[in-house]
Amino acid sequence: MDDAAQNFRAIVERHQGRVYSIAFRIVGEAGAAEEVAQDVFLELHRSLDRLESEEHVTAWLRRVACHRATDALRRRAARGDAAAEEYQDGMGLRTPVREFMPLMNRIEQLLLTLPPAQRSVLLLRYQEDLEPEDIAIEMQMPLATVRSHLQRGVKLLREKAQRTLKEYSRG
Amino acid sequence: MVERMDEFEKELREHLQARPAPAGFADSVMRRIEGRKPRRSWGFLWQPAWRWAAVAVLAAMTVLGGLAREHQQRVAGERAREQVLLALRITGTTLNQVQHKVNEDQSPAEHHGHTIDLRP
Repeated sequence: MDDAAQNFRAIVERHQGRVYSIAFRIVGEAGAAEEVAQDVFLELHRSLDRLESEEHVTAWLRRVACHRATDALRRRAARGDAAAEEYQDGMGLRTPVREFMPLMNRIEQLLLTLPPAQRSVLLLRYQEDLEPEDIAIEMQMPLATVRSHLQRGVKLLREKAQRTLKEYSRG
Repeated sequence: MVERMDEFEKELREHLQARPAPAGFADSVMRRIEGRKPRRSWGFLWQPAWRWAAVAVLAAMTVLGGLAREHQQRVAGERAREQVLLALRITGTTLNQVQHKVNEDQSPAEHHGHTIDLRP
C-alpha cells in the first residue's frame, strides 16, 4: 500500500465511527448505514485534494453523511420501505421499544420516529456536540431553522421517551 | 454562544455517543477504492508521453498503410503491363502468320506468270 493509501486509511479509521453512527441513526438499518458510510468515504477520496485541513475533512464528512443518509432514506421511502416512513407515523412506533434493549438503542429507535431534518440536526448537536451556530454553518441552514429543528426535535423526543421509556416516565 | 442543556439533553448527549463502525469497515472502503482504480487509470492515456506515443503509432500506421497501398498498386500495374505485352506478342505472332500466309498465297501466281496487270 502506498503512502497516499495509508494516509487515507488512517482518515477512514479516525472518522468511521462518526460517519457510520450518523448514517445508522438517520437510515435506521445497519446494512444500509454501512453502504452509505462507505459511499461517503469513496466520495471523500475523490474530493480530498479540495479539503485543506483535518477540521475541513471532519465538517465535510458530517455534512455529506447527513445528506447521503437522508437521500438513502428518501430512496427507501420511495420504494415503499415501511421502516423509512416510520417518522410519518406520528407518535406511534412500528417497531416496539423493548425494555431489554440498552438505553442507547431505545433512544436511537425513538430518534428514527423524527423527521429526517430534525434527526440530522439532533445528531450534530448531541452526537457531534456542535453548537447551533456551527450546525447552521456546516449544514448551510439558517440559524433560526436549526434552533426550530432542535426545539421541536427535543420536545418530540422527550414526549416519546416519557411515553415509552420507563427511565423517563412521569411519576 | 454555548447553549445550556437540560438533564434530558445531557442524557441524549451521553447516549448518542458515536457507535463503532462494523468490523472490517476500513478494509471494505480501501477494497472499493482499489477496485475503482482500473476504471480511473484510463486517464493515463491523456498524459503527454502516452499522447505522443499514440500520435507516433497513428503516424506509423498511416505511413505503413500508404506504403502497402502503393505496393499493391505497383503489383497490379506490373500485372496489367505483362498482360498488355502478352496480348501484343500474340497479336504480333498472329499478324506474322497472316503475313506469311498472304505471302505464300501470292508466290504461285508469280511463278506461273499469272501477273495481274492493273494498268488502264
